[in-house]
Amino acid sequence: MNRERIEEFLYREADLLDRPDLDSWMNLFAESGTYWMPATEDQKDPINHISHVYDDRVMMEIRRRNFIHPRASSKEWEARCSHVIGNIRLLPEVGEDVITVTSNQHVVVWYRDEQRLYACRVTHRLQTDGEGFKILGKRVDLINPEAPQQSLIIYL
Amino acid sequence: MTSIPTGDFSQVVTATRVHRSLYTDPDLFELEMTRIWGQAWIFIGHESQVPNTGDYFTTNINHNIPVVMVRDKSGSVQVLHNRCGHKGAKVVEARSGNARGAFRCSYHGWSYRHDGSLLKVPNEAGYEGTGFDSTNPCYSMQPLAQVESYRGFVFATLSPYAPDLQTWMGGARDCFDNLCDRAPEGEVEVAGGVLRYEHQCNWKFILENLNDTMHPMVVHESIVKAAESYLEALPEDAVEQRKEAEIIPPFGASYEKFEASGITGFPFGHHYDGGKTSIHADYSVDPDYHAAMVAAYGEERTREIYAFNTHNVLFYPSLTIKCAVQNIRVIRPISVDRFIVETWSFRLKGAPDSMLQRTLLYSRLINSAMGMVGPDDLEVYRRAQEGLASPSNEWVEFHRQYGKDEQREDRTVGGGTSDLDMRTQYQAWQAYMEGSIFNEVENA
Repeated sequence: MNRERIEEFLYREADLLDRPDLDSWMNLFAESGTYWMPATEDQKDPINHISHVYDDRVMMEIRRRNFIHPRASSKEWEARCSHVIGNIRLLPEVGEDVITVTSNQHVVVWYRDEQRLYACRVTHRLQTDGEGFKILGKRVDLINPEAPQQSLIIYL
Repeated sequence: MTSIPTGDFSQVVTATRVHRSLYTDPDLFELEMTRIWGQAWIFIGHESQVPNTGDYFTTNINHNIPVVMVRDKSGSVQVLHNRCGHKGAKVVEARSGNARGAFRCSYHGWSYRHDGSLLKVPNEAGYEGTGFDSTNPCYSMQPLAQVESYRGFVFATLSPYAPDLQTWMGGARDCFDNLCDRAPEGEVEVAGGVLRYEHQCNWKFILENLNDTMHPMVVHESIVKAAESYLEALPEDAVEQRKEAEIIPPFGASYEKFEASGITGFPFGHHYDGGKTSIHADYSVDPDYHAAMVAAYGEERTREIYAFNTHNVLFYPSLTIKCAVQNIRVIRPISVDRFIVETWSFRLKGAPDSMLQRTLLYSRLINSAMGMVGPDDLEVYRRAQEGLASPSNEWVEFHRQYGKDEQREDRTVGGGTSDLDMRTQYQAWQAYMEGSIFNEVENA
């Protein structure tokens, strides 16, 4: 199994968010790829239940443009992150070309002169194309999805 | 007369300005919690959150007084003080759930019926001959001074002197009717969960911002430009599939458009902008939904329901609703520079699932802590909170279109870009703080 390549991919994805380099990060997603942060535990559905965020490539692109817009006052503050990834587990394969991998991630975010800590279980569904991977879906389950959240202007 | 001492607050509120201490003074905050939040009708929850006997939902009615909304065995929805009659412990800790049979305190096991009355004290023999009277209401989980609901929306007040709920709502009540009438079955229910968003600033900023129509084109310029510039590059049929294309760009509407929407104010600080039109007026109508509406109400009444289109409605100080979107935001102060906003979404009974899905998309895009609109609003509130520490100017002004507010029978109307909403809420603020707020009812 190409476990090492999968781990390397997760580290690279996290590194692009840490910088942040949203242009390169978005390109890790398949055309149909989505980013989802549910608002409750064990959430079944991103459409019929509220989420903190559920973006496809179109919304990622709009968010990216807003992120760098000079009049976006909440983005005047730099956001920097540091992801630490552990407990990486490969789930049994469902299809030939699709791999599901879960990890625990601790993300320290520096924003508005404050450091915050997020803890989450992240599930990646990855498409393999021989060369590398494309993200079909990235799901970020916070350990406290129902707690009051502070403004978060960057993907975890 | 209320039991709260009166005072003169004209030193900090005038017709066109408020003193900066309203946002920064912790002592004033404590007074607000007693005099505004302790007297006004406060939104607690919706009856659909407690459908069965024993179902409960907990919240605070102000910054720290815990209450529980519960459906009792008669089917009535009660709002009780969440405090044990014995040592004072909070009885119900979970946010929601079902208490089969009775509430039971975790400390000494005193138990209470769903109407709050004391059911059982363990080992009660020890109280014999002590003068302890278990039937004295002070040993129960006491109901709030007044509890009422309107079309399923449950409010409670700590004040026995507040007028009945519908009198207090006044003409703003039309907005609850419009929200519910948008359901083919005439009822709404909470659906799809809640978002909780922490705001590190004074609670009044969000109320002031709701119908401040001079801010969207400035604060939300970036997201409107980001969305429009990208959507323009997409093929037309791809854009038609995107509900975001209806939701985001109206936040960049012109001054003229917002002026035309108008603002309407009511006694007790309530107000809305829009009515004939609003930034939600140009949403497409789902054909299946429209068919269900026409089947329920007929074509003419359906058009009438759509035509009443408001943007934000404020029931001062705790609740703001969006009839055309079917979501609400519930405000709860925590301290002078911190509060929580909860966004709840509603299903229109009898409408196709696509309607709830649009509501949830709106809540996620606009009201989430990771949203496209909320974080920029909060950023400017925080800058105001920080800037108001400066003694360079003791006052915050709201002169726009002052003198042009037009007094009609039960309401005040003015231009959509006026500060009428500010004047309306600070008149109420002053009357609550001075203890004269409910005298207006007697005099009316």
